[in-house]
Amino acid sequence: MKRRKIQMIVPVLAGLTLLSACGDTGETDTASETANVELANGMTVKAQIEARQAQLKNIGKAFKAISDQLKADSPDVAIIQAATAVVPKEAAGMVDWFPAGTGPESGVETDALPIIWKETADFNEKVAAMQEAAAKLDATAQGGDVAAIATAFKTTGGTCKSCHDKYRLDD
Amino acid sequence: MNTDPARILVWDWAVRLVHWLMVVLVPLLWWTAEEGFMDWHRSLGLTMFGLVLFRLIWGLIGTWTARFAPMVRRIGSLKSYVGKLRNREYSASFGHSPLAVFGVFALLLALVTQIGTGLFSVDVDGLESGPLSVLVSFDTGRQLAEVHEFNFNLLAALIGLHITAIAAYHFVLRANLVGPMITGRRSRVDFAATALPENRMRFFPMIGAAVLSLACVIVLLNFG
Repeated sequence: MKRRKIQMIVPVLAGLTLLSACGDTGETDTASETANVELANGMTVKAQIEARQAQLKNIGKAFKAISDQLKADSPDVAIIQAATAVVPKEAAGMVDWFPAGTGPESGVETDALPIIWKETADFNEKVAAMQEAAAKLDATAQGGDVAAIATAFKTTGGTCKSCHDKYRLDD
Repeated sequence: MNTDPARILVWDWAVRLVHWLMVVLVPLLWWTAEEGFMDWHRSLGLTMFGLVLFRLIWGLIGTWTARFAPMVRRIGSLKSYVGKLRNREYSASFGHSPLAVFGVFALLLALVTQIGTGLFSVDVDGLESGPLSVLVSFDTGRQLAEVHEFNFNLLAALIGLHITAIAAYHFVLRANLVGPMITGRRSRVDFAATALPENRMRFFPMIGAAVLSLACVIVLLNFG
């Protein structure tokens, strides 16, 4: 009976190992040649990618703060205003975060798709649309009208999505 | 309803309804998440929350075949049941077989994990989130979303195993387990035991479980 139990455990463990292997795409293995190449702006490829990821994450955090308040029965406008102010600041200069060579071909883990560097004009246009919407959202937030903020927030979120759908790896 | 005394009630209608609604909801939940229809995903997820909660309560106060305690007691006869299966000897269990009990608990655990993490999940942009995500930070919400995504694979694997087992019983052992999950009934002569536990559907526990589940769904709906 003991042997039979082990016979069952082995495939289960094998399956779990396989599944968990799908999860991590080892950061250590491909410290590729280009990761430490210095870009025109003085940053390495790796530093550039990590910097833009950190800034995008700060925008995500600000969006969650706004979304949390908009869900509440009585949103705290001060918290919303603080968060909406973060977005244009963090998004400033976004088109410069994607110099050539900072795509997935660098070997650094990134969800940025190569198409960014093929359709740069469209990409830049979408980034500009987002920055414009974010600025409007912040201006609206300072006005304090929650319904108007919710609408502006939705518009801003839409500009994020339209770009991500095309230029970011679908997770 | 079929009242032919030769066919007796195995699965009450609440168990069957919950089961088949889950069959519809799981693919829909997967699809809405894949396509990014997150409003629908949240609504369907809350519906699933209500169904699972009802099933858990029903496992405590429901009909005999729906209750967890008799299932746990049945695990004791697992060895002899599996031994017989290996010889292609099949005798029908009234309710879940000792082997199926593990499947039920594994599936329920996967569903509870899926719903529990989904309630707090936050998407990578901070734009979409579960109804309880206001209680956690962006980072925690992201981690729970990762678990939500990973656990779906486990859930899908368990569902695959479940369907495979049903097919094996059908083709290898010539036992139709799908029919009773639709009609609720099975021939009395299939069961060797001379006396079977009382498995009658009772009205008040059913209403109680339904009202309690619905109340929890409404609380979640209005949270914030």
